[in-house]
Amino acid sequence: MRQPRLFPHWARYLGYFCILVHIPIMWLRHMDAFGHSSATAPDDHSLFNRDHLFFIVTFLLMVVGLILVAFSKEKIEDEQISRLRLDSLQWAIYLNYLILIITLIATDKVNNHFILAIDTWIPLVFFIVRFRWVIFRLNQPLKTDNPS
Amino acid sequence: MKNTIRVQRAIKDITQADLAAQVNVSRQTINTIEGNIYVPSTVLALKIARVFGLPVEELFILEERD
Repeated sequence: MRQPRLFPHWARYLGYFCILVHIPIMWLRHMDAFGHSSATAPDDHSLFNRDHLFFIVTFLLMVVGLILVAFSKEKIEDEQISRLRLDSLQWAIYLNYLILIITLIATDKVNNHFILAIDTWIPLVFFIVRFRWVIFRLNQPLKTDNPS
Repeated sequence: MKNTIRVQRAIKDITQADLAAQVNVSRQTINTIEGNIYVPSTVLALKIARVFGLPVEELFILEERD
């Protein structure tokens, strides 16, 4: 059977690390933003100004973290896991487009950053939560049963 | 589709973990197959049948609704 292209199992922990690093950086930035409206000088309109570079770095940190968590191999990567992965991915895409459609219908001025955020976080976060939840549920009977 | 894996395991006296190791899947997968939650692929069904030395039709039986 053809194996899906996935990251090695250890990459999941690297992904969690990226996400955990991202959170305090964003929090500190958020706190800092109360004192200063922007880290970039008002007349700096270059593409790679300080704000934009910060956005790129934090965005990449979070996205890479989520991708590594979502698409790393399980300890035993068998056909049932592949099936669960595919099912969860399908649900994530459905949810993503449902929210996108609702947003487009319910709002008159759509913020590009908001759309970017929806398209980036929702599919991956929902995929991870759903995938891990199904695995957790399937593992429950094994914890209560004897090994036979 | 129902199956007789649990019965065959009892006859052969092997655990879910043993069977899982022999066909290179997780114990969780064997458990869900036995519980008719998950239907295995043809490849996995053939591997399981080979462990028990039985034809696939004796392990996996189609039901009316299939």
